[in-house]
Amino acid sequence: MVKKVVILGGGTGGALLANKLPRDEFEVTIVDKQEYHHFLPALLYIAFRGYRKPIKRGIKTLLKPWVNFIPSGARAVNLYDRYVELENGKRLNYDYLVIATGATMDYSKVPGLDKVVEQFGNYHSTEENAWKVWNSLNSMGSGTLVIGLTYERYRCPPSPLEGVFLAEEYFRMRGIRDKVRIVYITFYPKPYPAEGINEIVEPLLKERGIEYLTLFMVDHVDPEKRVIYFMEGEEIKYDVFIPIPPHAGADIKYTPEDVLDSDRFVKADKFTNRVQGFDDAFVIGDASALPVAKTGVTAHLQADVVAKLLMGETAANTGRTHCPFDVGYGLGTFVISDFRNPALRFPVGKLPHLFKVAFMASYWDMILYPELWDPIFNAYFSATEPSKLRVFYG
Amino acid sequence: MSQSNKLLVDARGLSCPGPITELVKAYRNAKNGDIIEVWATDPGFEPDIKAWISRTGNQLVELRKEQDRIVAVIRVTAKK
Ligand SMILES: Cc1cc2nc3c(=O)[nH]c(=O)nc-3n(C[C@H](O)[C@H](O)[C@H](O)COP(=O)(O)OP(=O)(O)OC[C@H]3O[C@@H](n4cnc5c(N)ncnc54)[C@H](O)[C@@H]3O)c2cc1C
Repeated sequence: MVKKVVILGGGTGGALLANKLPRDEFEVTIVDKQEYHHFLPALLYIAFRGYRKPIKRGIKTLLKPWVNFIPSGARAVNLYDRYVELENGKRLNYDYLVIATGATMDYSKVPGLDKVVEQFGNYHSTEENAWKVWNSLNSMGSGTLVIGLTYERYRCPPSPLEGVFLAEEYFRMRGIRDKVRIVYITFYPKPYPAEGINEIVEPLLKERGIEYLTLFMVDHVDPEKRVIYFMEGEEIKYDVFIPIPPHAGADIKYTPEDVLDSDRFVKADKFTNRVQGFDDAFVIGDASALPVAKTGVTAHLQADVVAKLLMGETAANTGRTHCPFDVGYGLGTFVISDFRNPALRFPVGKLPHLFKVAFMASYWDMILYPELWDPIFNAYFSATEPSKLRVFYG
Repeated sequence: MSQSNKLLVDARGLSCPGPITELVKAYRNAKNGDIIEVWATDPGFEPDIKAWISRTGNQLVELRKEQDRIVAVIRVTAKK
């Protein structure tokens, strides 16, 4: 019998999963509050490079013709009675539910942040906010630029420092690097939280004259005085502040409520992505409360595992990450790790940057044709397994 | 007089920097006088918590290694 699968969210994880499920076994419906799927990694390049290529596509155009698409927000999920309630009150029943609603911004967690974003933008939410960052950088002739973490939950662990490195390169290109002080703030003990990568990036920050404040926890911001206040009473004055904003889960009412953590992310099993306590519901990608990196690669690999589980196969997550990390000047490193292996010391070179550019060019195709790209990905991921690369970059 | 709370942060099984992330989450909502007890299994937690204490000026009441976990008991004293 054909099984009804409802997928909430048609972003990276949701769209990919929908396109992987065989039409003869599943009737798949994607529900998304937006008509468009956004390629979020490009926000970095809009913000720091003024990147002009389109970064969104109609969700419908990214789905196999047999996948149903409902353009509507979901406002409630009842995991006991197996239904999703849409904004107009209509209910969709399912045999299997997959939550892929990503992350949203919650500026209210840090007082004053909403005004800062209105003024200078950020590169973790919308295209409009990313353009604001670009305009803010362009209007800077001198002064202090602060970029950094304002809260404990955020997407794409390399992206905060990528912004810092790209900003440094940008000011150098404009010939005003000596007039701009760049400060990175983080609540972690080291600039990059994983030791292997930190050993690569901390010397680079020093070499490029970028200051960093570690173990600094933002309490609130005064947008009028342009001061960031930290929890132990220190403060820093800025001319431009680009915050990595607090991320939270989608605004959906869940029954039972305790499947959500305090930031509205959905609790799940780290190997199977099954929602805590339920066999027929899964959460993939940024929407989960799992302590794994919120990246497209994670969403992608979790979609693979959930597709297999839905098809009755055995599969489990390995916790694999594989993120290109741009450090400016056409160079980069990779964050490569899994549940068993902490991040490697992958040396800085041209390859990760080229990988990122190639990935941006092929992204839409990868979403629409997983059957063509999966063999390539499988071979690539297998060849670059952390346990194998450890020998060289351990 | 406001009452002080005791908060437990169970970060067992999380690899670095998970325990520090969880600690900061609890610290954000804590007030001076509160006790935060963190359980971690990642060996990187020990140097991290020492660095955190020495930078923030909060009080490390106890740091002990048990068979299956590292336990840090922190009194919140440095919040402004
Ligand atoms: C600056 C930046 C750089 C990045 N760089 C990289 C990188 O180099 N490599 C990498 O792997 N990842 C990178 N990422 C992270 C990556 O973009 C995300 O991790 C990925 O998009 C997560 O996919 P997802 O499917 O979980 O969520 P999303 O792609 O965010 O999709 C979520 C979807 O759910 C929908 N939705 C939300 N709420 C509701 C609701 N109530 N009802 C219906 N629909 C809803 C949304 O409209 C959206 O379409 C980067 C992110 C940023 C911001």
